Amino acid sequence: MTGPSGPSGPSGPSGPGIPGQPTFPSRGGTGAGPGPGPGGVDPGALDPGETLALTTRGTAGPSPSRRASLGSGDAPSSDSATGQAGSPGSVGSAGSVGVTSGGWEPGNRRPPWHPAELFSPARLRLLGVMVLVGLLAAVVTGRTGNSDKPLQAAWDSIVDPRIVLFLVLAVALWLVVVLGGELRALVTRLATPVRAPFATAYGRRGGPIGLNLVLLAVAIIAPLLFSTAAQQSMVNDIGIYALLALGLNVVVGYAGLLDLGYIAFFAIGAYATAYFSSQTAMPWHAPFTLNPFFVFPIALILAGLAGVILGAPTLRLRGDYLAIVTLGFGEIIQIVANNADSITNGARGAFGVPHLSIHLPGIDYTWGIEPLPYYYLLLAIIVLVMIAFGRLERSRIGRSWAAIREDEIAAEATGVATLRLKLLAFAIGASVSGFAGVLFASKQFFNPQSFSLQASFFVVAVVIFGGLGSRLGVVVGAVVLQGLAFYLRDKVQPADRYIYFGAVIVVMMIFRPQGLVPSRRRRREIELSEAGIGGADALGPAPTGARP
Amino acid sequence: MGRRPLLGAIALATAVTLSAAACGSSGGDSSSDGKKTITIGFQGVLSGDNQQLGLNALYGMRTAVSEINADPSSTFELKLVESDDAGSPDQGPTAAQKLIDNDKIVAVVGPMFSGATKASEPAYTQAGLLSVSPSATNPALTTLGFKTFYRVIAPDTVQGKAAADYVAGVLKAKKVYSLDDKSDYGTGLSGALEPELKAKGVEVVHDGINPTKDYTSEATKIIASSPDALYYSGYYAELALLTKALKDKGFTGKIISGDGSLDPQYVAQAGATAAEGSYLTCPCGDANSDPKAAPFVASYKKVNNGVKPGTYSGEAYDATKALATVFKQLGSDVSRDSVLKAFAGVNYQGITKTISFETNGEVKGSNVYVYQVKNGAITVLGNIADLIKS
Amino acid sequence: MGFFDQFWQLTIDGLMVGSLYAVIALGYTLVYGVLQLINFAHSEVFMLGSFGGLFAARALLPDHGVPGGFESVCLVAVGLGVGAACGALAAFTLERVAYRPLRRRAAPRLAYLISAIGASLFAVNLAGKEFGRQNVDLPDLFHNGTVFTIFGAQVSTQSLVIFGVAIAMLIGLDRLVAGTRLGQGIRAVAQDADTAVLMGVNVERIIIVTFIVGGLLAGAGGFLYAMTFNASYNMGFVPGVKAFTAAVLGGIGNVRGAMLGGLLLGLVESYGGYLFQASYKDVIAFLVLVAILMIRPSGLLGERLGRAA
Repeated sequence: MTGPSGPSGPSGPSGPGIPGQPTFPSRGGTGAGPGPGPGGVDPGALDPGETLALTTRGTAGPSPSRRASLGSGDAPSSDSATGQAGSPGSVGSAGSVGVTSGGWEPGNRRPPWHPAELFSPARLRLLGVMVLVGLLAAVVTGRTGNSDKPLQAAWDSIVDPRIVLFLVLAVALWLVVVLGGELRALVTRLATPVRAPFATAYGRRGGPIGLNLVLLAVAIIAPLLFSTAAQQSMVNDIGIYALLALGLNVVVGYAGLLDLGYIAFFAIGAYATAYFSSQTAMPWHAPFTLNPFFVFPIALILAGLAGVILGAPTLRLRGDYLAIVTLGFGEIIQIVANNADSITNGARGAFGVPHLSIHLPGIDYTWGIEPLPYYYLLLAIIVLVMIAFGRLERSRIGRSWAAIREDEIAAEATGVATLRLKLLAFAIGASVSGFAGVLFASKQFFNPQSFSLQASFFVVAVVIFGGLGSRLGVVVGAVVLQGLAFYLRDKVQPADRYIYFGAVIVVMMIFRPQGLVPSRRRRREIELSEAGIGGADALGPAPTGARP
Repeated sequence: MGRRPLLGAIALATAVTLSAAACGSSGGDSSSDGKKTITIGFQGVLSGDNQQLGLNALYGMRTAVSEINADPSSTFELKLVESDDAGSPDQGPTAAQKLIDNDKIVAVVGPMFSGATKASEPAYTQAGLLSVSPSATNPALTTLGFKTFYRVIAPDTVQGKAAADYVAGVLKAKKVYSLDDKSDYGTGLSGALEPELKAKGVEVVHDGINPTKDYTSEATKIIASSPDALYYSGYYAELALLTKALKDKGFTGKIISGDGSLDPQYVAQAGATAAEGSYLTCPCGDANSDPKAAPFVASYKKVNNGVKPGTYSGEAYDATKALATVFKQLGSDVSRDSVLKAFAGVNYQGITKTISFETNGEVKGSNVYVYQVKNGAITVLGNIADLIKS
Repeated sequence: MGFFDQFWQLTIDGLMVGSLYAVIALGYTLVYGVLQLINFAHSEVFMLGSFGGLFAARALLPDHGVPGGFESVCLVAVGLGVGAACGALAAFTLERVAYRPLRRRAAPRLAYLISAIGASLFAVNLAGKEFGRQNVDLPDLFHNGTVFTIFGAQVSTQSLVIFGVAIAMLIGLDRLVAGTRLGQGIRAVAQDADTAVLMGVNVERIIIVTFIVGGLLAGAGGFLYAMTFNASYNMGFVPGVKAFTAAVLGGIGNVRGAMLGGLLLGLVESYGGYLFQASYKDVIAFLVLVAILMIRPSGLLGERLGRAA
């Protein structure tokens, strides 16, 4: 089985737990108890003494206070110490909790502000964690130090009067969490992936058209409300990354293949543009000059071809091996671009790629250096790509990808040409990336720095942050992540920008690992994987410490 | 109600943290006593792997700004707006646009890296906003039609030629190993140096290596080709590691590098024993060793928590001071337009060089100095042109 | 000067760097073995350990020139110890903050990847803020001369120390995994966590211990690295990617594979950098990796940690 989550609802001796639980009626019924968690996997195994302390609290979901975890010492014993009766999963799901134990017993419930309740060891521990977070926040926002006195700056920030603010905040946060009512329910609900009834997972297909139109209208109007600098960022950071993320979503989200060198195809698109549309940008150029618009199809094909060339030999590799090979490919493309002075102009980059322009009878328009026209062009492309991928997702191909992602062996057995379809996903993803590259190259100067490994990672982050497999999700991911980066630009010292950025990503993943706007299908897959059926992605089961 | 309280609390915490941070970072501009405030921008590398170079320049600017603001005779106060481009072309246009959008800004010091410059300069040209780069040395920059681009640092070609003269003429090297860091700057410099050396009949071995920490096998490679001298085109952090690796393996040739390595941190990071005797060329005066620049060094340290000036600090300081002289000349008529026009004719005696420009924005004069690490400190040997004659 | 004249010197260089890769790679491989998870923030564990060891050694460094004899041994030992402790602490915190909450809710695997990238960004930039963005030099802790010459290649004290300590750690870990009760637990979890639970293995504890052991090695490795290559806030990324490559090369999840992969990668880089322009050496390393994966799709020694010993 995958994941140590037994059908704890019905079978687990969860008697005492349920009454205190603010209700998850549907849970028990579906048998998809949330109780995953390695937590799960039994505290205290090597030590029989600890094992006795196990409690089973039915569908007890995860809670932060489970940081207490191994400390089954304070997992006192509620009346269901016979927990081992359940499957190992259900044992686990509760085993490590050991908090707020008394509170859940029906007849014996003290108000949450009762001192004995308030200062239970687990809550004190939570307070400790909050205070640590407060101190960390003080350090993060404090002075910049140097290596001569390594810890001086951190110390200064902690003894600074400002610390009072952070500590008060930490305690307030703790009180909110502790007294905020049904903490457990709350955290459980937050913690478990958002679940819709199964019916909706297969429900309406097109999504709410009205909502989509509103979003589109917002996207059209939004840039007019912002400064030109923000518009620049909306093109360079948000727009391009949204497009890249849509492409990568096909590879990672639909087909479940982890590609860590995705930006390489972007580079191929950009250099193809320089090659075909300018005589001066690179030492190596085509004997003729094309309008960048005509390079779009060429780059599409070239990047797709590169995807096939990379994919054909490597797609037989399993998840993580593929990840490292694609990572290597990304590195190779960047290094070669940086070194081949006589072909790509090396580190000096390609300057002078013409802007996009249309010369048709009646229309004569050239995109200049203003970001706004590029924004609308990008928006149009993104919308088109989203529509196209929506159709693709629901087509036979899309369903085959889903099958591969959910269970490759079963898919193969039922006649899905797995390798060919994976290759197709790779090629489609790559061509979108190449497309974006043309746009970028025609917009502005670029050099190999633009195609770094970090950029590849960032696209992956956008996809997962937004919601793997969800077209709207990945676009929202690009908007939120890049928007955050732009927002922080003025708010904090530039050098500290990525401290906040990193913290937001971690917090987000802790509270919403399924991403901002998860796709319905993925939601169901995550549910199933929690229930122990299949993996949440084609990369194997969730790393819970147990596996099939 | 569900999740609201916790999320609310987190949002609150984040908001407070961010605003606290914002307050923390923006302290200390006090404009009062009726002086006019002039705003200038800085665009440079303030995040990413090269941010130390950006900080060097920014600190130099801050020093100049605080000197000017503390000067009772000055008729205006300077206000500095920073914009980070991470040194990359992707973020260049956004960073530049941010400064352009702020219509109080009348001039910009930056961009710093050639790649970011090429990406940003079209926007500056269109907006008619003067940009003075303290560090972009790619020779092509002044030929690409940017009307607002000036730089207070000589292009690679100037330094490459002088360095070749020195290596061949004074150090009498017969075989030179030219290593660059495959960056825009490094390849530019080695590309200027190598033909000059070859023209003088010096045997040149070329290699490029991406900035890394591990130069062990590169050191073996260099020693195996037994050159008389190694010229490294790149920055001090890598040169320091390379020097250490070479000295560990007993390299006896001379180690020479360019302006990117003229930084006291070179000696600190390589260790004084390893760095001893290395040569550094630079088309600039070195603030730390030049007695005339002592006041600058002192006020730099005062403004920036005791940090010593580093690579590009002096250039950024000079650029800011040169801007200030223009503001002074213009009196009340300070606008983007007037500043741009007046800056072409500036003549200011800076600490790194005399700042005056050719029509294409290139700084005039091409004195390249050579420095050597002696007793753990970088000391000036003299102007290369003079050293060759003697 | 031909390649073969320098062959042995390059081999020595490659082995020194490779042994460091191997030490870091073990962290990736152990965590992968137990959780099937690429711990992308491991490079920051390495970085923090390196700073810890460096600052400790620097604080104790006497004023008079280069120390020698017993003093040197103590300094190196303290640096290694503090580095390892910092690495272990960092790894432990990382597991608590970035991974455990996700494991609690059976998040999809990619969520871990992103959580790790976030944690890594946070740690790198916070370290940059606290310790400055300059490289930090660790003065010599001992006289670094040529100890002996083998086939015309010089072996310096430093490379000997690094190689020796690294190999000692590798052997120690191998013994730990193969021969102790703890190792048995790790292997049991790696082979089949569900069954391990039934057999009475405390999986949660094994996971934490695995992270800590990986952190200890990375931290000590970080100190060794700082001894030669200086420390800086962004030092982790490149060796991190290399070590990950090494782990995959040897067969990720396999302890001996990681050792072999690390040494091999070091050698390939060393030879490749000599034969071609040095900036292509990463290209060569990755091409070798791809070639090996084509022939042996799960690395040189296959992947299971459980089968490693």
